[in-house]
Amino acid sequence: MFDQSANYINRRTFLAKGGFSLGAAALASQLAKAGITGKSNTSLYGAPHHAAKAKRVIYLCMAGGPSHLETFDYKPELDKISGKPFPDSFTKGQPIAQLQGKALMAQGHLGGFKKYGKSGQWISDYLPYHQKMADDISVIRSMVTEQINHDPAHTFMNTGTAISGRPSMGSWVNYGLGSESQDLPGFVVLTSVGGRNPQPIASRQWSSGFLPSRFQGVEFNSSGDPVHYVSNPAGVSRGHQDELIRTIQNLDSKRNDLVDNPEISARISAYEMAFRMQTSVPELTDLAGESQKTLDMYGATPGDGSYASNCLLARRMIEKGVRFVQLYHRGWDHHGGLDKYMKICAGHTDQPTWALLTDLKQRGLLEDTLVIWGGEFGRTPMFQGKGGAGRDHHIKGFSMWMAGGCVKAGLSHGATDELGYNAVEDIVHVRDFHATMLHLLGIDHHRFSEKFQGLDMRLTGVEPAKVIKQLLA
Amino acid sequence: MSVRRITGEAGQFFDSYFTWKRTIVPGVSIVIMLRIVPLLAVVTVLSAEEEIDFNRDIRPILSDKCFHCHGPDPETREEDLRLDTFEGATEGGAIKPGKPEKSELMARILDTDPDEVMPPPKSHKKISKAEAELLREWIAEGAEYEDPWTYQHPVKSPAPAIKNAQWPSNWIDHFILARLENKGLTPSPDADPVTLLRRLHFDLVGLPPTQERVKSFTEAASNNLQTAVETEVDFLLASPHYGERLAIYWLDLVRYADTVGYHGDQPHNISPYRDYVINSLNRNIAFDQFTREQLAGDLLPNPSQNQIIATGYNRLLQTTHEGGLQAAEYRAIYQADRVRNASAVWMGATVGCAQCHDHKYDPYSAKDNYQLAAFFADIDDESHFKTGTNSLPTKRPPEILILDKDGKERLQTLDEQLTVLAGGKEKQITELSKQESTLAAQLKKEKDAKKKEDLQTHLTATRTKLGELLPGDSLTQWKQLTADRKKVKTGGRLTMITKALATPRMVRVLPRGNWLDETGEIVEPAVPHFLPQIEKEGRANRMDLANWLTDVEKGTGGLTARVMANRFFYLYFGTGISRSLSDFGGQGQPPSNPELLDRLAVEFYESDWDIKHMVRLLTTSRSYRQSSLTPPELRELDPYNQLVARQSRFRLPAEIIRDNALAVSGLLETATGGASVKPAQPEGYYRHFNFPTRKYKQDTDQRVYRRSLYIHWQRQFLHPMLKAFDAPSREECTAERPRSNTPVAAMNLLNDPNFVEAARVLAERILSGADKDTGARLDYAYNLVLSRNPTDAESKTMADLLDYANKDFKQHPDAAKKLISIGQTATDPNLDPIELATWTSVSRALLNLSETTTRN
Repeated sequence: MFDQSANYINRRTFLAKGGFSLGAAALASQLAKAGITGKSNTSLYGAPHHAAKAKRVIYLCMAGGPSHLETFDYKPELDKISGKPFPDSFTKGQPIAQLQGKALMAQGHLGGFKKYGKSGQWISDYLPYHQKMADDISVIRSMVTEQINHDPAHTFMNTGTAISGRPSMGSWVNYGLGSESQDLPGFVVLTSVGGRNPQPIASRQWSSGFLPSRFQGVEFNSSGDPVHYVSNPAGVSRGHQDELIRTIQNLDSKRNDLVDNPEISARISAYEMAFRMQTSVPELTDLAGESQKTLDMYGATPGDGSYASNCLLARRMIEKGVRFVQLYHRGWDHHGGLDKYMKICAGHTDQPTWALLTDLKQRGLLEDTLVIWGGEFGRTPMFQGKGGAGRDHHIKGFSMWMAGGCVKAGLSHGATDELGYNAVEDIVHVRDFHATMLHLLGIDHHRFSEKFQGLDMRLTGVEPAKVIKQLLA
Repeated sequence: MSVRRITGEAGQFFDSYFTWKRTIVPGVSIVIMLRIVPLLAVVTVLSAEEEIDFNRDIRPILSDKCFHCHGPDPETREEDLRLDTFEGATEGGAIKPGKPEKSELMARILDTDPDEVMPPPKSHKKISKAEAELLREWIAEGAEYEDPWTYQHPVKSPAPAIKNAQWPSNWIDHFILARLENKGLTPSPDADPVTLLRRLHFDLVGLPPTQERVKSFTEAASNNLQTAVETEVDFLLASPHYGERLAIYWLDLVRYADTVGYHGDQPHNISPYRDYVINSLNRNIAFDQFTREQLAGDLLPNPSQNQIIATGYNRLLQTTHEGGLQAAEYRAIYQADRVRNASAVWMGATVGCAQCHDHKYDPYSAKDNYQLAAFFADIDDESHFKTGTNSLPTKRPPEILILDKDGKERLQTLDEQLTVLAGGKEKQITELSKQESTLAAQLKKEKDAKKKEDLQTHLTATRTKLGELLPGDSLTQWKQLTADRKKVKTGGRLTMITKALATPRMVRVLPRGNWLDETGEIVEPAVPHFLPQIEKEGRANRMDLANWLTDVEKGTGGLTARVMANRFFYLYFGTGISRSLSDFGGQGQPPSNPELLDRLAVEFYESDWDIKHMVRLLTTSRSYRQSSLTPPELRELDPYNQLVARQSRFRLPAEIIRDNALAVSGLLETATGGASVKPAQPEGYYRHFNFPTRKYKQDTDQRVYRRSLYIHWQRQFLHPMLKAFDAPSREECTAERPRSNTPVAAMNLLNDPNFVEAARVLAERILSGADKDTGARLDYAYNLVLSRNPTDAESKTMADLLDYANKDFKQHPDAAKKLISIGQTATDPNLDPIELATWTSVSRALLNLSETTTRN
């Protein structure tokens, strides 16, 4: 597939894809970006397909599946039947996870709900800082997915299918739009923990699948090297490493004089970027330059690896041109102890999320940044009791939100039924969510495909997907 | 068949994207058209006269642009028109053979009205002018359809006539040269002997040649290159490393890994299967037998332990026991996984696409998919849902215990000694010993005095009986031997196997792949409906499937041979004859040289599926020997090297990059087989795991220097080095790895302590192996790593680095000590730390060179 001759051809012909034509000047600059000058991180695809406000994405991935019923989806009817058997008409023949074979009892909301902001969005008491953002975020209350266990559900959310080996959305977006950074990867993943026993998370979630490896997510670590092997070996100074890399490049280019292999030029550039990354990555992750006021706003302590620090890092990354940042917080699997763990998880994420949005707004970055918040599924309106009231996995209706200059602020989109079980109004399937995200970035999901095993593979898959027009600003 | 006429003027065949007119040989003008399809470019290199070949020239256009709505799947078929069969296309007049101007198809594809034009704009597919012209000509010539090339039995064509009779070494070369001559091209000259030798070693054993080997080969080559190559190939095929090298490819195909893949990604027991693959390839087991053993070794009469280990193939898929899993759902996931893999590995087919619907491009129906799944319905998937645990390794019964050679011998000796001691009374003795230990344990716990007394009496009686059976010292001996026996057994390895269930699971067609839908038809094992059928009374089983896949007469052996022949060609030429290594379907790329591909396929089964024979044939061809240097004209004319007017050059696979560094430094441990190994990796890399949480326990002995195919294959967090150089996670079948060129890989090769240690040990080797002057040392170093002397310019550049490093480390002796302390191999105390650190910098540079990591 992506062998070396393909790399070479693609650099020359990427503009032909989809039949786009650009003027000579644009062509030259695109070629320069595309790797002829070694800046090999630019789009190969010819996107954007249309003018778009959003240029980058921060995806706040609430891993484990936060309860829509303790965050955004208020159902007074559910409270009325709390503790009573859940109506069979809803649950019969439906997939269910850990509650298989158990009596299904309704579980009313834990914590109260109120309307906030001019928009009057329903937001739970667990999320005091979200309450302040009611008019900034656009809540989708009618999400549905197809996978009921964590691992496949995450894979489905990230790649549009539960089958392994497909590119994740961050890879797709970088493939479509390229990175704007010359010394940082275009797709970065950060993780934090806190809450109920964290779900494992697989690197499949940021895999580039069948797309070239350079589009895969690069994970930043909160301890040790921020990126694997970004530090010089012990005893090797920066000057020494520089000398070494220059020697390698010098010898490689001598070799290239002899064998004329475009792959060697690309390699020389890769070493150049590696060298730059060895400086830019530690600089990026060093929060020393941030004011105490900023740190306080996020609630971040430099080097603590918290969600708060990661939110601040995410802002720093997009400032430097990273296209897609995905933040995982892995504590949302609340089968039991829902009240206790909601408090912990909200305690970890509520304020930093607000701080991120506020900070982006202050810096004028929110206009062209798309911020997404959500888990891989929601939770049952039925009781599960592993250590105090909790809820099981639920895929038929849950909530997510988007924010940023590109989406209509303060919108409530879609709804579940009176018990918060099934999405019934303006149902948003995961692939509609993907189509919408791509649209906001200027990419037409119909045209955004890649041949793999003879098929035109898309993030949105083969079933029809629709852009949620109501969400567009 | 029609004849393609090209006048030499590009105008009427102008492709919308690229047309180049080049004069390759004076007087012969060639038009090259590149039809660029996103990233998987279909390149057609047409010569002055080349026939239109339906499968090569027409089917790809129809398949990509039309079949989605006018193809095999009735669910998505529009206007009741199908263009994948002659009948369907001609019935309603979409195509009127011989009359393109009266064919609705031509009218519609040329229409400028967006409401009329086909394919419709919303499909974002477009038929280029060149493609339209091809279709027009094809219809004019009679619109002849051919069965898809994939499903046609391979044809044994005679080697074509050629002009330059001096060039070929064997018949492969005739097929390649004939095509080149037809295009007015000449093959590239032979590569120089050192490049060729290095190519042979990397391709066949995945390790660099030793200096002795370089010397003997270049001498032999100066007498007769062909004989030298043949001798070298035979030498390499006899090496135990041959099996390791080829196993890497097979393990990618069958998705071998050491962990379950889903959710907790716990380790599972399977490494003996990996060793089975290596040993089988070294023993050169016939491919049909290799197939039978893996798919159905348990169904062979009196299967050997090896044949049972082989059935681990059926257990290689990703599994889970995530809390809240629904068995029915995972049954569906597992059966789909097995169909995807087996069909990709043996049939080069994407039958998995028919999980939810009939295949859009190929004749596989959804029912075919589920009937194939039914072959695997006797594999026990249930027990691990029940007993699978969060232990490390997880439990995945059925498993068997495998001992290594020493273990086996030891066990045999112990058993013999025990037999002698027991004198025919093993059964009684074993029974009594068991009783004894049970009683002793009970006695220890018991508090009631009366009961204690009873137990004691019972115990004494038992001991007396035992003493009678094993008088004197022999009781103590017996106990010792039994303890030893237990110890030997714990030193063995468990491995997952296949045990057929007496009653296979019921398999239904799942409408739209939905496992909750129980309305689908119940199916029995059967092969795809349009292929030769298995003739058997009663239920067909995995053995029937394995036989069908390799039976040339009654099954699809010819097609399987073609799939594999194409992959062998890819392994030794860097590109397949069909570039689609796992999609021999309508959407896959047709072979660029179909006669050669077919002939190789026939050769494969006619040789009784002799893999080494195929490898020998390919690597002793003249075509293989060509230089990989690529003049710019050739690069433009044939970027994917489909004409094979040269060899290919490409970055080495991940495993070989590391193995090479270990080999040239002298660190490599060459033992084959055994449990997976754990070289250094960054701290905290496994922090995302749970159920249970875990820490990577790095090996602290010589095992860390074993070949990289033995590295613990953690699907979700693969060793960063393997990952950086494109080794796959092995979640799915990988027939072709990407070859990327990224900063992450550069940082790995520069800074990973495994490479830094190799560089330091290489420096020690240089300092102790060569004369003291810098020139001699550099010569020695270059010969170790690149099998050649440095040029003057290279020596100069390296000397500059030496100067810099020497000054730096003289000023910072502590830094020098730190650098040379990396790794677990002790530093040679006789060497000056500053000098060693200085030369470590040179070695690091050498290991990082493009030439070091490239197969040329």
